[in-house]
Amino acid sequence: MSTQQKIKFNIFQHELVPKHSILTKDEVEDLLRRYRIEKYHLPKIRVRDPAALLIGAKPGDVIRIVRRSPTAGLAVFYRFVVGG
Amino acid sequence: MVLETYKNVTGIKFGLLSPHEIRKMSVVEIRTADTYDEDGLPIPTGLMDSRLGTLEPRQRCATCGNTATSCPGHFGHIEFAVPIIHIGFVKYIQELLTITCRECGRILIPTDKVEEFQNRMEQLKKAFGEVSKDFFDSIKKEARKRSECPHCGSTQYRIELIKPTSFYEYQKDGGVTRLDPSIIRSRLERIPDEDLKLLGYDPSLARPEWAILQVLPVPPVYVRPSITLETGIRSEDDLTHKLVDIIRINERLKEAIASGAPTVIREELSDLLQYHVTTYIDNETSGIPPSRHRSGRALKTLSQRLKGKEGRFRLNLTGKRVDFSARTVISPDPCLSIDEVGVPIDIAKKLTISERVTPWNIEEMKRLVANGPDNYPGALYITRPDGRKIRLDFVTDRSRLVDELQPGYIVERHIRDGEIALFNRQPSLHRISIMAHRVKILPYKTFRLHLAVCIPYNADFDGDEMNLHIPQSEEARSEARLLMQVQDQIISPRYGAPIIGSTRDFLTAAYLLTRKDTYVDREQLYTLLAAIGYDGEIPSPAKIEPEPLWSGKQVFSLLLPKDFNYFGRAAVCKHKHTSPDEDCPLEGVVVVKNGQLIKGVIDKNSIGAERAETLYHRIVRDYGTAFAAEFLNKLCRLLNTFISIRGFSFSLDELNLPDNVKESIRQVIEESEKTVRQLIDEYRKGTLRRIPGKTMEESLEILIMNELSKARDRCDEIASSSLSLDNQGIVMVRCGARGSELNVGHMTACLSQQSVRGRRISCGYIERALPHFRWGDQSPKARGFIESSFYKGLSPIEFFFHSMAGREGLIDTAVRTQQSGYMQRRLIHALEFLRVEYDGTVRTTNGEIVQFKYGEDGVDPSKSDHGKAVNLQRLLERMDIKEGKTPLRLSEINEILEKYSNRLTHFYILSLRKLIRDKHLSREDATRLVEATVEEFEKSQVDPGEAVGVVAAQSIGEPGTQMTLRVFHFAGVRERDVTLGLPRLLEIVDARKNPSTPIMTIRLDEEHRVDRDKAFKVAQSLTYTTVSDLTAKGEYRIDLEEGVVRIKIDRSLMESRGVTVEDLKNLTITNATLEFSGDELIIKPKSAMDISWLKRLVNRVMKLSVKGTPGINRIQVVTEGNEWVIQADGSNLSGVIQVPGINPARTLTNNIYEIYETLGVEAARNAIIREAKDVFEGIGGGLDLDIRHLMLVADVMTNTGKIRQVGRHGVTGEKSSTLARAAFEITVSSIIDAAVRGVEDTLKGVTENIIAGQDMKVGTGIVDIYMTPNPPSRGE
Repeated sequence: MSTQQKIKFNIFQHELVPKHSILTKDEVEDLLRRYRIEKYHLPKIRVRDPAALLIGAKPGDVIRIVRRSPTAGLAVFYRFVVGG
Repeated sequence: MVLETYKNVTGIKFGLLSPHEIRKMSVVEIRTADTYDEDGLPIPTGLMDSRLGTLEPRQRCATCGNTATSCPGHFGHIEFAVPIIHIGFVKYIQELLTITCRECGRILIPTDKVEEFQNRMEQLKKAFGEVSKDFFDSIKKEARKRSECPHCGSTQYRIELIKPTSFYEYQKDGGVTRLDPSIIRSRLERIPDEDLKLLGYDPSLARPEWAILQVLPVPPVYVRPSITLETGIRSEDDLTHKLVDIIRINERLKEAIASGAPTVIREELSDLLQYHVTTYIDNETSGIPPSRHRSGRALKTLSQRLKGKEGRFRLNLTGKRVDFSARTVISPDPCLSIDEVGVPIDIAKKLTISERVTPWNIEEMKRLVANGPDNYPGALYITRPDGRKIRLDFVTDRSRLVDELQPGYIVERHIRDGEIALFNRQPSLHRISIMAHRVKILPYKTFRLHLAVCIPYNADFDGDEMNLHIPQSEEARSEARLLMQVQDQIISPRYGAPIIGSTRDFLTAAYLLTRKDTYVDREQLYTLLAAIGYDGEIPSPAKIEPEPLWSGKQVFSLLLPKDFNYFGRAAVCKHKHTSPDEDCPLEGVVVVKNGQLIKGVIDKNSIGAERAETLYHRIVRDYGTAFAAEFLNKLCRLLNTFISIRGFSFSLDELNLPDNVKESIRQVIEESEKTVRQLIDEYRKGTLRRIPGKTMEESLEILIMNELSKARDRCDEIASSSLSLDNQGIVMVRCGARGSELNVGHMTACLSQQSVRGRRISCGYIERALPHFRWGDQSPKARGFIESSFYKGLSPIEFFFHSMAGREGLIDTAVRTQQSGYMQRRLIHALEFLRVEYDGTVRTTNGEIVQFKYGEDGVDPSKSDHGKAVNLQRLLERMDIKEGKTPLRLSEINEILEKYSNRLTHFYILSLRKLIRDKHLSREDATRLVEATVEEFEKSQVDPGEAVGVVAAQSIGEPGTQMTLRVFHFAGVRERDVTLGLPRLLEIVDARKNPSTPIMTIRLDEEHRVDRDKAFKVAQSLTYTTVSDLTAKGEYRIDLEEGVVRIKIDRSLMESRGVTVEDLKNLTITNATLEFSGDELIIKPKSAMDISWLKRLVNRVMKLSVKGTPGINRIQVVTEGNEWVIQADGSNLSGVIQVPGINPARTLTNNIYEIYETLGVEAARNAIIREAKDVFEGIGGGLDLDIRHLMLVADVMTNTGKIRQVGRHGVTGEKSSTLARAAFEITVSSIIDAAVRGVEDTLKGVTENIIAGQDMKVGTGIVDIYMTPNPPSRGE
């Protein structure tokens, strides 16, 4: 690969990667109240996950993911950022 | 009825028994290593001591005074002379010894850090609900670092475990001492409770020193019953044998200690005792010989009793034996209704239902009791109100009982017609393997069932047996009736289309009946109408002269609802007709208008099972399942009667092709043999076209196989085109009843190439398949090509080849069933605890969310229309909404939709908007449509409690047996091998890091995708090329005089791989300089080297990368639509997306783990769904599967942010329930781990509750009383 110049690629442009965004404190509160859960009941995502890294998520954050869905068109998903 | 108290087990706690507890629960100390004396009486303090319980029928237990049936059994104990290590806890003992101080017992972490860890632990408990194993592991790692105790300052020594049970300590002076179990015990005793908590142990339930046994509990006799053989000889249980050994050695050791025997003898004896105790607990411990029975069979001791398929967990706890069940051979009966089951009268006399006597049924009950057990309908038992049960078999004078009978008595009577029963055929791969039928008592000895339900049960009548269960309680019966009846199962949850429908001869009959030239006369018509019990109007005959005749279509139409409209295509015609107005010579256009079949024939595409969007499917959707079931009943009876009148048979003569056709088939075969000969010639001369990336031999094979398969296709085509629909075989094939064109070809034209492992037959002798051929004979005949047809008959050699291929098929099926069965077991255990909650989320039974909405739109596939909640087109037709003239303005449409935006998915909002605009709907029509859509959408939502995990697991696992096993070869144009079918599916659910055939699809950017040459350039730049790829067979020359190595570079290879001279000049390596001049790459070592070093250096140079992306091997540039796409063998996503010229956003790989690493979990989840979907769609037409099932599996696999395998090392292994893990694969170690940590299994999942024998909190079990007397405000 010595002769090739490398290009930096933003993974959010990839067709497999949906949009990720960090929830605000209020939004998290709201989410937890809506489903009557604690944070650890949410699906998880690692801090080292490329997508989480790119939006600068920290452990303890909750990420909103807007998926393109073959059934619903658009679907919202949440993940709780954990270490490791 | 006797009042029953229901008790629920809410949890099972695991822990260790302390010596104190063992002694406390013991009723006798066992000291005698013997069982019975000469008189056959149990020896006191022996292993069969009567205080442990009694096995003799009329004897009473010496402890509790109960008889054998009601005595629970009592434990005894053995006092050990020396402490003995429990083999199961060795791992934990070693761990504790190495991380605690040998003097003071404290954990080897300074106090301040201990406090820090304690605080962290509290925090974690708050943040995650529980503390993960990783946290404890990090503490243990921290403690292992120190060789001096931070608390008392004493030096720590290295502890080594010599398996299975000996511990050694390496002192500083080099001395090694063996740690006696009593020393270990005293060290473990010193560890304070606080420190143990920090390590994840629960000292209140399991002090570590209890893992070293001083006392051994002796299980009651019921656990190890002795059997009296016919000869009168007693045979003891394996556990008793082992206990005898233990006691014998223990007593000898006690004596030795008491008499002050030498240490050597004492040690020898304690080692022997240790051995016996170890094998008593686990007789498969590695490193020691298993203890054996006199016959040489290894003993089945405690661990073996629990483990594996035949162990307690899988055999007795998750699978239980039941009463009120029957099993016999099945046979067909088209006269039954689809929801009936014919039960032989002999079985009906054994199966009962308990019915309470009331004033309203007392006469009936009296009659039943009078009839007794042997006269149907009768009764087997009666229960008096005081609870006394009387077996009518033993009553000689039943008339007295008849007189005694009065309200309040319970009669267990024979089952009768109409009773609800569960009918099942194993393997129960999906929920429709068990359905509720209505009982119909019939003569003879077999269960009878309707042919249409053979598909869900996967039953045939070649000797299959099935099981019948009679639900006993009122609740069970109503649940069965409301949820499990056959008509409620017509729509398969796997793909949302009918799985129960017409098959085989019914399809043939339907085709023959509805064909253009089928007419029935008055007599036949009346026979047919009588068969379906038709009492409506007789339609006017289609033909009046010479006698009144009715067309088959008219007869069929009688079954259809009067307002039914339908347009579809028949299976007989291969053309893709798109309009109901088209004409088709084969009657392929099926049109139903107002309940009349106007044109078209009815075949598999209209009424077949396992088909979506058929006429039958429409009827099920629009008129309900009860109507559909009745429709199917009548249809089958009608067709059955019709084909009985008409008759249908397939004769041998119909397989005899005309001579001219035979001749042309012969010519085709001859021609292709000639082509093959030419190919072989070309190969020998070396002029054969080489397929890129293949050797010459492989290329030849591929070309020959292509040629021969082309020949086969031609032959089949010629044969089938010479046969018409007058041919009964063709009729069956075309209408989808049985067989395929291929089968017809095999019977009439030629059997063509036989293959073993996807290749032509080659094994057997050296260079040839059979000794009848010459060495190296590549001709079709010598390698398994069969020219004959089944009609003509096979020559002996052909027959042999055919048998080889046939054998492979059998093996394949056997292997496949095993693999897919195991895959399904894993899927079930990984997904069983998922359910839909009342808020629409999918959660584990512990409350963790897996999906925020089931399938992202909350639609239940079994309530959907082939995966869609609403079929808008169909809705328009049904509501009779016509196309309008003027389109509504967008703002108006949006206004209508706005109201419902939170009740519909994004998908339907978009679809509706488009539909309203395109069809120019009026405002009223649009509103009506939207409202109807919302209504249907909400009707198709999943019910709370639905066990969606199990449904998904079944839906994915069940078709597994139908999948191909072999790696698929794309022969011909796209020469690449891709793993498909079951092996690929296994790769996906196993979450393997490297798929067996990694493949990338690389799309190009704007500039490069349209131009072939530019695309080719990019492709060349991607191919990974090393120095050795540029040499002819890796040739090099060592020049000893100059001390250099010369590697010969092949210029043509350089060109084909797009390598420039520059590329080669830029190569560097440590310890040597590289020079490229002429056609040679010269390696000059920086210092003198001997030959072996030089060779090593050459190897390194050969592996040197010249250009390209590592991992990308073979590359092809293909067109896809109007762009050029690169298909690459091998995968390296992170490398490829950085290469200029490609479009990284649309570049894909089939390596899911790579996607996870470079693009993240969410992308990996999408990749899992996509790859799995490809597997199901990939195989010839595809296996239908709703995508929601795959989505659920993908969401479970990625739930923790990592990709978890479906199985022991992933989802199931991480389950919180100890019992669920024990029931899966990790039996003994999960239980031991739970004991040490003092875990409580809260019985929330499904497996646990099955083990405990109570309702699981899934499905109807989710219903419970929830009450909060004083609702706490949030935050409290």
